[in-house]
Amino acid sequence: MIAFVAFSLRRAWQGLWHNRLMSVAATATMVLMLALLSGLIILLTGLDATLKYVEQEVQVVAYVKDSANPQDVNLLETALGQMPQVTEVSYVSKDQALKDFLSRHPDEAEVVNSLPTNPLPASLQINLRDPNDYLDVATYLRNQSPVDRVLNIKQTVDQMVTVIGVLRAVGIGVLVVVGLIVLFIIVNTIRLAVVSRADEIEIMRLVGASDAFIRWPFIFEGAMVGLFGALITIAVLWLGQGPITTVMADYFKVLPVEASATVGRDVALVVLGTGVGIGVLGSYLSIRSYLIR
Amino acid sequence: MRRSQPERGIGASLMAMVSPASSDSRPSQTRLPGTPGKPAGKPVRPRVVLAMEGVTKSYPNGKIALRGVDLVVPEGDFVFLVGPSGAGKSTILKLLIRDEMATKGVVLLDGRDLARLKRKDVPRIRRKIGIVFQDFKLLPHKSVRENVAFALEVTGAPRQSIGPVVDRVLRVVGLTGQADQLPGQLSGGEQQRTAIARALVHNPRLFIADEPTGNLDPLISWEIIQLLLRINELGVTVLMATHNAEVVTALRKRVVALEDGRVVRDQTEAAYHRED
Repeated sequence: MIAFVAFSLRRAWQGLWHNRLMSVAATATMVLMLALLSGLIILLTGLDATLKYVEQEVQVVAYVKDSANPQDVNLLETALGQMPQVTEVSYVSKDQALKDFLSRHPDEAEVVNSLPTNPLPASLQINLRDPNDYLDVATYLRNQSPVDRVLNIKQTVDQMVTVIGVLRAVGIGVLVVVGLIVLFIIVNTIRLAVVSRADEIEIMRLVGASDAFIRWPFIFEGAMVGLFGALITIAVLWLGQGPITTVMADYFKVLPVEASATVGRDVALVVLGTGVGIGVLGSYLSIRSYLIR
Repeated sequence: MRRSQPERGIGASLMAMVSPASSDSRPSQTRLPGTPGKPAGKPVRPRVVLAMEGVTKSYPNGKIALRGVDLVVPEGDFVFLVGPSGAGKSTILKLLIRDEMATKGVVLLDGRDLARLKRKDVPRIRRKIGIVFQDFKLLPHKSVRENVAFALEVTGAPRQSIGPVVDRVLRVVGLTGQADQLPGQLSGGEQQRTAIARALVHNPRLFIADEPTGNLDPLISWEIIQLLLRINELGVTVLMATHNAEVVTALRKRVVALEDGRVVRDQTEAAYHRED
């Protein structure tokens, strides 16, 4: 068994070395395809982070009656904070609302100051985990006695949910299509490399080599091409990490920091798995047609 | 048909042939083929290496390559398979190495019915056949020694056992001096001898030569034929498909002539005149 694996590895290495041109071509194709794939994954990760950020920006604003009992408001705030759909609740008092208003519209100060009372209501601002929960939370608030009315942004939320859904679907669609293209191109390149050695395979068959002795060296060879391709791709991405992060941060502005920390590791794993996996698959499929008679 | 027999192989005889001590002995002619170790006296029917019975082969495209071929080759025979292109010679060879299966009829090799062979047993039966072709089929980036060793490596022979076997067969074909050259540096005859050496490493029971002299000039062709005769003398059955009427006629061996997928002639000590 160990002798067989050693034999296969030795033959795989010989195969790579004696067919340098084909090996380099296959590895280069592998690198380009993996770079394409990882680029897309990075882009989609950025997009997803942005969409998540936008989603979390959805706020339900409930205005509180001036007559409301502060204790009831407090109870409501606590209740909201315990709802699973809610990530954050903040109470904005009448005074705070006025300050916020003045800081946004300093020109109106005179008008506001001329008013006998503060016309702005206090409010509860509720951040949601998922914008789809907007209606639930809004309905709940409308039935609470301290609440005067709930700012209606249903239409805006619906539109946003639709757009985000479409963007996500398109992203997954593009990923699937590119993934298939990458699969076909790499499998085909490896098939070319195998076909160019049909003579060698024929000789092996004629001298009575068993299927395992023919197949495994090629599978190891495919795995090696995948491994080299993946390592080169990861090295390139590693070197390009700085510029990529800058571009991503510029482009998506809001990219959360904690996302970028795991993106690198995830992409490296995907690249490694895809490279070795498709390398093996390509060899397996290509060699099959020579063995089954 | 099936008889158990001690593993014999030509390795020992090849050794005897190249070792100086036995240079004057001619082992293959002092014993009947297929009866090693048995006391002489009782007449023993020679073992059959190859038998075809009513073999028909048609391809999916409708072409019929063989029509009811019967052929029996006893051990130790030297058989020429002749006939015009497309007569079915190549098809017979493909059936023997089980690259193709007979549509009808039975093909027995060393007593095994090739149609009933399990997939995993196919490589083992192929090791009982040594085969060479017109185009040699050598690996260009491997030396003579490596090309010959390749046949042992890819069949799982232990590494330390490979060297001695390779040296031995290279001595038999007379290529010891060229062992480290690449096929590109060799003459056509030397390349074919490399291929023959490779075909011998598994001690085959049947040696198949498919137009072995097709790419060689007449003088070199004779050298190759002499080598095949020597291999035959060692007890290996030889089946040679050829167009070379001169060689066939000169040797007066058994000739099986094919035409349009049928055996039209099967004669011992025969001649061959090409009509195509």
